[in-house]
Amino acid sequence: MRLPQRQLAVLEAASATDERTIDEMATATGLKPETVVGAAFDLRDEGLLSLAERTVDTLDLTDEGRRYVDGGLPETRLYRAGLALDADESAVSMGEVIGEAGLEGPEVDIALSNFARKGLGSIDSGELRVDPDVDPDADPEAAALAALVEGDDPAADEAVLDQLDSRGLVDRAESVTRSATLTEDGVDALMTGVEATETVSELTPELLASGEWRDVEFSEYNVEADAPTARGGRKHVLRRTADRVKDVLVGMGFQEMEGPHADSDFWINDCLFMPQDHPARTHWDRFALDVDPMDRIPDELIARVEATHRDGWGVDGDGYHSPWSEEFAREVALRGHTTSLSMRYLSGIAGAELEPPQRYFSVEKVYRNDTLDPTHLLEFFQIEGWVMAEDLSVRDLMGTFEEFYRQFGITDIRFKPHYNPYTEPSFELFGEHPETGEEIEIGNSGVFREEVTGPLGVDCDVMAWGLALERLAMLTTGAEDIRDLHGTLADIDFLRNAEVSY
Amino acid sequence: MPVVDIDTDELRGLTGRTDTTDAEFEEDLFGLGLEFEGETDDGLLQFEFAPDRLDRLSVEGVARSLRYHYGDDRGVYVPETNDPEWTIEVDESVPDERPYVTGAVVRGADLDEGALESLIQLQEKLHATMGRGREKGAIGIHDLAMVKGAPLQEGSEPSITYRGVDPDGVSFVPLDANDELTPTEVLAEHDTGRTYADLVEGLDRHPAIYDELGLFSFPPVINGKRTEVTTGSRELLVELTGTDQWTIDRMCNIICYALSARGGTVEKVEVNYADGATHPSEYGAELVRPNFDTDEKAVKHDRIETLLGVDFEPEEVVDCFERAGLEASYTLDEDVTYEVEIPPYRVDVLHPLDLVDDVGRAYGFDNLEPRYPDVGTVGGRHERSRLEDAVRTSLVGLGFEDLLNFHMTSGTENYDRMRVEPGSSALGGGEPVEITEPYSEEYTQLRTWALPSLVMLLERNTHNAYPQDVAEVGFVAERDDAGDTNVAERRHVAGAVARRDASYEAAKGRLQAVCDDFGTDLETPRTEHPSFIDGRTATVVVDGDEVGVIGELHPAVLVEHDLEVPVAAFEFDLDALR
Repeated sequence: MRLPQRQLAVLEAASATDERTIDEMATATGLKPETVVGAAFDLRDEGLLSLAERTVDTLDLTDEGRRYVDGGLPETRLYRAGLALDADESAVSMGEVIGEAGLEGPEVDIALSNFARKGLGSIDSGELRVDPDVDPDADPEAAALAALVEGDDPAADEAVLDQLDSRGLVDRAESVTRSATLTEDGVDALMTGVEATETVSELTPELLASGEWRDVEFSEYNVEADAPTARGGRKHVLRRTADRVKDVLVGMGFQEMEGPHADSDFWINDCLFMPQDHPARTHWDRFALDVDPMDRIPDELIARVEATHRDGWGVDGDGYHSPWSEEFAREVALRGHTTSLSMRYLSGIAGAELEPPQRYFSVEKVYRNDTLDPTHLLEFFQIEGWVMAEDLSVRDLMGTFEEFYRQFGITDIRFKPHYNPYTEPSFELFGEHPETGEEIEIGNSGVFREEVTGPLGVDCDVMAWGLALERLAMLTTGAEDIRDLHGTLADIDFLRNAEVSY
Repeated sequence: MPVVDIDTDELRGLTGRTDTTDAEFEEDLFGLGLEFEGETDDGLLQFEFAPDRLDRLSVEGVARSLRYHYGDDRGVYVPETNDPEWTIEVDESVPDERPYVTGAVVRGADLDEGALESLIQLQEKLHATMGRGREKGAIGIHDLAMVKGAPLQEGSEPSITYRGVDPDGVSFVPLDANDELTPTEVLAEHDTGRTYADLVEGLDRHPAIYDELGLFSFPPVINGKRTEVTTGSRELLVELTGTDQWTIDRMCNIICYALSARGGTVEKVEVNYADGATHPSEYGAELVRPNFDTDEKAVKHDRIETLLGVDFEPEEVVDCFERAGLEASYTLDEDVTYEVEIPPYRVDVLHPLDLVDDVGRAYGFDNLEPRYPDVGTVGGRHERSRLEDAVRTSLVGLGFEDLLNFHMTSGTENYDRMRVEPGSSALGGGEPVEITEPYSEEYTQLRTWALPSLVMLLERNTHNAYPQDVAEVGFVAERDDAGDTNVAERRHVAGAVARRDASYEAAKGRLQAVCDDFGTDLETPRTEHPSFIDGRTATVVVDGDEVGVIGELHPAVLVEHDLEVPVAAFEFDLDALR
């Protein structure tokens, strides 16, 4: 027969005739008591050992109990002090007796209540008398404490022990003592001889295949020790935020748009009814590209957009008093906003002509010549979304955006009337920072002007909004410098350690 | 966004609200869309606002808006004007680049220190906004007492002349100077002249305004010292020149309204464009200015209700219009339509929709109850967006850290440091799409491939632990004269394995896994690429198409990027996995 080393040791330490306790066997084998317990249970399961359990009540003195063994119970001290002051003959002021007894702090209350309970005397109007018939040396509580400190059986009534327990002078507990005896099988096994099994450090394919795993013992590990952290790859933290936004918008019924990053000013600005001399269209703000102008724009659309810029849209519409040149409209630049995609989709050039109702979105990169700082980059992601339907109202706009931001824990949205050349009415959206509670700008929104939708051939309402994804990411991840996240300055450790958002 | 500086004592005077505190004004102005920004060194309060209501660029206009807001004023206000005595003659010598002029005379204005400063501020803010940095419209205000009108003939009205002059042939004493300077000298030597020099430099003739005594204004650059306005000035001549008649007329209106609020009486002037001069075709050659005619637009009741989502009684709408400084009348027909009268200082009303917005503001957008629109649509992701995402998931599963790099880069990073020649056939060697006027040497073009971004990131992270396996699915672009936008935009998949034992095999094993994930067939025939070691470089061929490159990065590229570990990498076109 083969047994693991530790089971064999325990088996050999057991006796067929004498019960051996776990502690005894631990001493005999040099194993830890918990290892012996484990081995003993395994041996019992094998039928080699029988285990007996005994439950013992234990009584231990508390620190307070120990103090009273030496100094006497407070009530007894009070009684003796009363005797010394002749309180057995006439009443003595309580303060005097307490002083004589040397009682202080909580001991005073303890002494007084137990004095009364045990009938050692009487207290009336602040004066104390002691009963001369009491024998202060025959107190059963004191006797039980004295016995306990000697390690003797207190031999006291259950009531006295309960009293000591409730006074907090003793701790009562139960302890289980296990002891083992060899069974007949155990004796037989030892007689025929038991060998210790091998201890292995690794479970190998060979051990598994041969079945030898049954006969080996695995060496123990320090399971609390640190292990080197495993590093897998992770999706970029900003991509995760984008994914979350996409999830929310798809859930709200929005279809995703895509389209060119480099586009004509026509799609980027002219369709949006941005006058060509608008300050945002100067070379300071845009990234113009050195490629040829864009030829393929439907002529009719160009004509309608130009006419709208010059003369306005509709009977009572007025145009801008700004220059408009087709040449400028055809110039190619990096888009400053993804509203160029919205224009392409609304015009029908990106796919099919759209009939209301529609919802569309994109979370894509835009390019603006801004000053680089912790919250601004030259390239950032813009969340863009719009809803096309008959008779949309400002209230629908408010309701849609409240729902969107609620998904990110941003509530109490405030709509501040604003001005954009391409929407009317327009609103800046403000919300409460989920952590700091500060009021912060979280987007820009509005209903597209008829000067925008009309030339594109859309004759119902379209409400739209935009927001920088980085702004939302900083709000929801707590990142403080956007440059840690985005671009070749990124710190790989920052990306590895950034908390996962979901 | 424009900022207006407000002296709240002036505001109390102009609104008649003497007991209103600064804090109360701040709150009321927020309601009008003017947001408190801070204080100037002189203790004026600064308010920022969206650039639609340019009539609020001075304390006078802000006070007018507040009076409407408080209900102290209602409807449209148009100041009384007197008939013209003065004429502005426009000579045919006026430069074509700045053909238009307008103006007004204002008498009896009470200009104390504060009012004068406010006037100067208004002028500067109008220059910055509507005037597009004085190019589109520039304002000159003069002490009329110092202008000697030259009657065109005996007994006729006094006149001044707008003409073009030889920039070296005349001279005058400009503001903030003591000597006579020619226009050329002003542009070269005078502070203000240097600031605005680019607006007139290169013109054969420079714009100038003359009275009988000579040149007294050099628009759009500077006025002459002789006619300088001071706190003693009671009679003012306002002149504006520019490239658009409507724009300068409206700027003139805003100035006249402000001066009228200071007690001035506006007197019209005649503007006569000479036969040979360019005149504004829509208004003719003989104008009387300022033009305080109101505009009218028709707004449908139904449109107001649907856009704001509120049911209104017509009286409520009329009330809102009046509190917005407009006037409205309607007839009670089947569908109610309002005829709305718009005052001549408004420059932002292009469409009836703008008037609906005014109703909304007067009603209070805060009073609208949000509702989720009852419109059903089906959502979904774009196919390419799903593909990019699936590839990222594969790469991340292979242990790559997903990166997000800039699309703009420099030729140095994109080509030189990778040893690639622009215009070569190697991957990454495409013709660059360059930024016409780059602001920084670091961002001069779009990246033609993604690997340089990955290597730059490794360069920045040499202090961090290895292995560093990084990947990106991202945008690249190159010139393509046959394309729609003349820019070919693509998505590339790039991966780099940076570690002590990085090898061709390590990169290929991962590339193979990605190709397997998408059910595509990978072959890697030998090739050469300047960024990689010869003999350890292959073309990435997916399903028979050459779509990228794979190999061990050349030691010269590694050393160039301060890398002390080998790097094996691949890059190929995302579409290959479709």
